[in-house]
Amino acid sequence: MLALIYFIVLAVIALGAAACVLLSRHPLYGALSLIVSMVSLAGIYGLIGSPFLGVVQIMVYAGAIMMLVTFVIMVLNGARDSKTPMFDKVSLFVIPAVLVLAGLVGFALVRAPLAFDATTLRGSVALTSRSLFDVALTGPGYFMLFEVLGLLLLSAMVAAVLLAKKRLGSVVSENTEDKH
Amino acid sequence: MELQPIYIQILALAIFAIGLMVAISRRNLFFVLMGIELALNAVNLSFIGFAKTLPADMSVAGQIVPLFAIAVAAAEACVGFAMVIMLFRKKESIDADNYSNMKG
Amino acid sequence: MTNLPLWLIPLFPLIATILLGTIAVTSSPSKKGPAEGIIGALAVMFPAVSFAVVVVLAYSMPEAGIRETLCNWIDIPMFKADIGFLFDGLSRIMLLFVTGIGTLITLYSVGYMHGDRGFARFFAYINLFLFSMIVLVLSDSLLLTFLGWEGVGLCSYLLIGFWNHDINNCKAANKAFIVNRVGDIGFILGMLCLVTIGGAGILNYDALNQFIQMIVSGNHVDIVVPALSVAGVLFFIGCTGKSAQIPLLTWLPDAMAGPTPVSALIHAATMVTSGVYLLARLGSMFVLLPVVLDIITVVGMLTAFWAAMAGLFQNDIKKVLAYSTISQLGYMFMAAGVCAFDASIFHVFTHAFFKAALFLGAGAVIHALAGEQDMRKMGGMIKKTPVTACVMIFAFLAIIGFPGFAGFWSKDLILEKLYVSGPMGPYFYGVGLLTAVITAIYMGRLIILTFFGEYRGSKESEEHIHEAPAAMLLPMGVLAFGAVFSGYLWADSMGITFFSDTLAPVVGSAQAYNALNHIHGHVNPMVFAGLGTLAAVLGMFIAYKIYGKARVPAAKGSSAPQGFKATWTFFFDSVHKYCGIIPVSVLAWICDVVVDKILQAIQWTLGAIATILGDGAASFQVRKVRLQVAFSIAGVAALVIVVLLTGGIV
Repeated sequence: MLALIYFIVLAVIALGAAACVLLSRHPLYGALSLIVSMVSLAGIYGLIGSPFLGVVQIMVYAGAIMMLVTFVIMVLNGARDSKTPMFDKVSLFVIPAVLVLAGLVGFALVRAPLAFDATTLRGSVALTSRSLFDVALTGPGYFMLFEVLGLLLLSAMVAAVLLAKKRLGSVVSENTEDKH
Repeated sequence: MELQPIYIQILALAIFAIGLMVAISRRNLFFVLMGIELALNAVNLSFIGFAKTLPADMSVAGQIVPLFAIAVAAAEACVGFAMVIMLFRKKESIDADNYSNMKG
Repeated sequence: MTNLPLWLIPLFPLIATILLGTIAVTSSPSKKGPAEGIIGALAVMFPAVSFAVVVVLAYSMPEAGIRETLCNWIDIPMFKADIGFLFDGLSRIMLLFVTGIGTLITLYSVGYMHGDRGFARFFAYINLFLFSMIVLVLSDSLLLTFLGWEGVGLCSYLLIGFWNHDINNCKAANKAFIVNRVGDIGFILGMLCLVTIGGAGILNYDALNQFIQMIVSGNHVDIVVPALSVAGVLFFIGCTGKSAQIPLLTWLPDAMAGPTPVSALIHAATMVTSGVYLLARLGSMFVLLPVVLDIITVVGMLTAFWAAMAGLFQNDIKKVLAYSTISQLGYMFMAAGVCAFDASIFHVFTHAFFKAALFLGAGAVIHALAGEQDMRKMGGMIKKTPVTACVMIFAFLAIIGFPGFAGFWSKDLILEKLYVSGPMGPYFYGVGLLTAVITAIYMGRLIILTFFGEYRGSKESEEHIHEAPAAMLLPMGVLAFGAVFSGYLWADSMGITFFSDTLAPVVGSAQAYNALNHIHGHVNPMVFAGLGTLAAVLGMFIAYKIYGKARVPAAKGSSAPQGFKATWTFFFDSVHKYCGIIPVSVLAWICDVVVDKILQAIQWTLGAIATILGDGAASFQVRKVRLQVAFSIAGVAALVIVVLLTGGIV
């Protein structure tokens, strides 16, 4: 009963913040609402027995990724395009389509029998890390994926640096050279 | 009244729908990326909700896949925002509809 | 018992191949080639070390042989193969003369190839050949043997076409390569056939022998013989390709386009005998298959006779030797066909010596005459090149089976085994003896035309005739020694059976099985020896009568045979043309004109449809990515509806 109350409170916050993302004008407000939504989702994770993921969610998502987002928004001064309309004719088509899809999937979900398992805690650090770093040949092999992810993050970092840096031969850098 | 797994799935579905709407109907590139993040979060929530319906030792995948999804999302955000910066530098605009050079 | 690992044997030629290949590639842009002294030393040293390893291993080998698995090769479900080596009585003999004669001929080539621009390339190929041949002989499974089999085929192709500025050499190389591929199909299908019968493990020789033993002891012979016969015939087709038997023999005479040491090493002494080796290796299987054995005997007999006749008609000194090689290989196949595997390997052994000596002698003659190969333009060479002539004459006496020389022991042994093989034996023996007479005639013709009489070439070329350098004479001398004395390893009538004793652990049980099922008549071996001697002397006498005094017609035009001689010589070429090449060409033409056009029409139709559809779809495209994503979401929604309505969710 108590869990349900907590869930309803957190779910309302998460949904409200998500709606704020949809409706806010300035990207910065959107980013801040997104952080609120993510933190309350982290609370739900903890509520349904995955505290480790909740912590990761707060640290990586709400902490690192969203910090990057707000940083970029502030750097680029995203308010500059306040002239563009929030919604246009396309939205008139998109929103009903998404709602129909959601309704259908929801209908399918409601018909599926689901019940909670009795164990309260499942996503503990010990359990998760044990299966994540199980290097036995008969194991699930997640450690391999883990390595691949490390490679992916590294390459993403390199790609980001290459994409975002000023090109040496570009007009901007030539101009600065001329000034010297 | 107890907390039911279907509530979590409905919540995940609702957040996913909102995320999709944000990503598609908003024209600001920042909102597009944030919508994608929201949708990814909803999927993680769905995974964890389903993991709860299984015995603890069988729900390992439900715990680990969101972990990987978060890592991939980090990479995606990293590259995505770098691209936003690049595009912004090129056209001084972050309106998604301005970028239609790829039309065949 | 030394514990030298077996992989040392193929290792050294492989190292030499890599080294010389690197040198050849890196030095190719420079005007002048690399120093010949270093290249020659490298090229001879590595096979020599390999030979030394073989000798050491041969002395210390236990009776049952040495088996060694190097590493895993193929490991997939249903199929597992190791790279393993087997060093037993059979591979010992083969390896001894492969590496030994290989080393000698490499040494000879250093003198012969002097001044050639592709010096390093030549020796890289030669070492690659030795490597492949060693792998072929040393491997413990059919699969690895096949690797070596293909390797020697490749080297044969590379070396026949070594002087690739001449289009005819390239054509000859292509011919050898393609005809060998036809045989290789037989080999592959034979392996597949065996795998179908006994599983993937059966490709190993030991496993195959155990399988055969199990069949024999369990009295299941009648059940598996049909399937095994198919495998046997397919393997025999593989052997005919590599060993130039009817019908796949046309490539060997053309292969003489390569440098003469190559002809000596590959197309006389070693590679062409690998078919005989394979027959002996699979001896335990072949003894169960009387039908296949009969086919082998008849094919060998026809080949021996046909090639001996063709040898009579040739004017090119190397072509004569090529046909004589085919003829001798026919003898070996006849011996294998009557289950005398040890006799056939013995003939391989002695033949390697005297044929290599003959080829090297011919090479020395050609070298002395600056490339002249037409025998009608030679003559009287014995005065100018006495050492070469002596070597050639010793080898000549060996090949015709003159008493005391190597060929006498091995050939008479084969003829004897033929005679006692069964009811058809005397007929086989008769043809074999006739062939021996013809052999003596055409070899006598070769010797007389080349070394005796008056020199028939131009005067100015006569002054340039010179004896070959020491690097060439030394191997020839050693081989001539072998041609004289190697026969005494198994001198039956003198009671020496050393050679057959060494082979007994490998082929002994197979031959014993065969002996159980056939009634042997016993004839005094001295009779065969007498008849063999008579044949040789008769042949020599005829040759002397015909060619000794008569004026040889002056050579005009090419050295190719004319008239009915050409019909006989190129009989199998025309068989290939009408049975193989023309049907394939017609088929290719049909494919080219009909099938290809139809396929193209289908392609164009499909392409046009795709283009039209694509253009139509492209016109729906708008300049808004978001709208398109929205469309796709609507599409997903529609899919979900379909799934729901059709009961995707229970």
